[in-house]
Amino acid sequence: MLNYRDFALRKLASIAPRYLPFADVATEDVPLSRLLRLSLFQITVGMALVLLMGILNRVMIVELNVSAALVAGMIALPLLFAPLRALIGFKSDTHVSALGWRRVPYIWKGTMYQFGGFAVMPFALLMLSGYAEAADAPRWIGVSSAALSFLLVGAGLHMVQTVGLALATDLVKEEDQPKVVGLMYVMLLVGMVVSALIYGALLSNYTPGRLIQVIQGTAVVTVALNLFAMWKQEARDRDVARQMELAPKTRFQDAWRNLAARPGMVRLLAVIGLGTFGFGMADVLLEPYGGQVLGLSVGQTTKLTALLAGGTLIGFGIASRTLTRGGIPVRLAIFGALIALPGFASIILSSLIDTAIPFLLGTFAAGLGAGLFGHATLTATIRNAPNNQIGLSLGAWGAVQATCAGVGIALAGIVRDIVVVMPAFAGLPASTPYNMVFIIEMAFLAMAILVAIPLLLRGTRLKAVNARSKPMEAP
Amino acid sequence: MSDDPEKVWPTGLNLKEAEEVHSYLIDGTRVFGLIALLAHILVAFTTPWLG
Repeated sequence: MLNYRDFALRKLASIAPRYLPFADVATEDVPLSRLLRLSLFQITVGMALVLLMGILNRVMIVELNVSAALVAGMIALPLLFAPLRALIGFKSDTHVSALGWRRVPYIWKGTMYQFGGFAVMPFALLMLSGYAEAADAPRWIGVSSAALSFLLVGAGLHMVQTVGLALATDLVKEEDQPKVVGLMYVMLLVGMVVSALIYGALLSNYTPGRLIQVIQGTAVVTVALNLFAMWKQEARDRDVARQMELAPKTRFQDAWRNLAARPGMVRLLAVIGLGTFGFGMADVLLEPYGGQVLGLSVGQTTKLTALLAGGTLIGFGIASRTLTRGGIPVRLAIFGALIALPGFASIILSSLIDTAIPFLLGTFAAGLGAGLFGHATLTATIRNAPNNQIGLSLGAWGAVQATCAGVGIALAGIVRDIVVVMPAFAGLPASTPYNMVFIIEMAFLAMAILVAIPLLLRGTRLKAVNARSKPMEAP
Repeated sequence: MSDDPEKVWPTGLNLKEAEEVHSYLIDGTRVFGLIALLAHILVAFTTPWLG
């Protein structure tokens, strides 16, 4: 009798670890398949971004008849959470866990928030629009529950992205980091493009039931992909757990001051903010610009987005190759902004001479520049991060990047809406307001370049100093 | 690992580790429970199914 029990337990013990979410050991080399699996979390982030920023605002305004001001407020809510990314990253750096886990608990929590937000969101939106019996219910219930669901999704996606990127950085060696950054960016882009197409197809025949299915389907896919992504990624390590317990408690302010004191860190964040703001405004405006100013059809403007995304993809590819071979990230970022400047200029030009070719070239250049700039600045942030503060650094990057991109997109949307409301604009051609925005973008990119140049100079000077000092040390 | 006195058979986790894994389960149940409750209340407002 006892032998059976012993046998069963022994069998259980031998198979159990396979079904637990730990990596067996922290291996030196992480295979590409594992990194690909980890990068799936970026697809869920892309899905959530597209749904929040692109799909739901149209559904709320067109199909649900919610007022535009309320919609704008709801969409801005996730942005409020973006600056807190730095805090999330810091908390994951200093997390104390008996399992030796730092990142996985936060990815899991973020996933739960995303799921929760999506699970409640369709009903909250139907309440908001006064669907069926909801018209009799008090108004604050719909508003507050919709706000809660947007906040939950926003909080979740910021958490998942910050900590997920930190985990990816933890996993690979320093010389492979550019590849990982490229992979993460590509997956985000793929997630956004593919989910935009799928959402568009699914919601073309809108019914309330379809809305519920689509959003809750997103919730399920999010949990499934994120679970699959983080499964067995972080090793269970008792030594790390012991170190975590013994580590002195640091406060966020001290850690932040420490990070900001690193040479070039604040300047790099400023470059990221300015550049991202400049690039972010273009995304929303290119399609209506092509339609209204150049008279392109809907199918043609959709191809525009593909052109922009294709340029961005090529930019990621070039940046990955160059940086893996020892290129300087800041120089590449400046290069990206420099490519985009004539791109935007030729977009403006196309409205003056009324042909589409310079517009297409400009769109491609803007995409290429955005890809180079985004990849290079993220790689620079990771390279500049102290070893024990990778989460905080990536949090700071995300806070600046998400806030500026969001504000840029929102501002561009406002400009576009102003254009739609008053098409005459005192007798000026329809292209004038667009061109003004493109000029503002160029100004921001130029500022980003100017701020980045001292970084580049200091970087090369440091390198020169190192090169000079090395031969003396070597013998 | 095998001579750890706090080892919990058969998973190979010690007590603290097992408790932490369990805490994730508990937290998840709480959050999902609250979300489900909220979703049911909202559905009840839009399409009442009781009375």
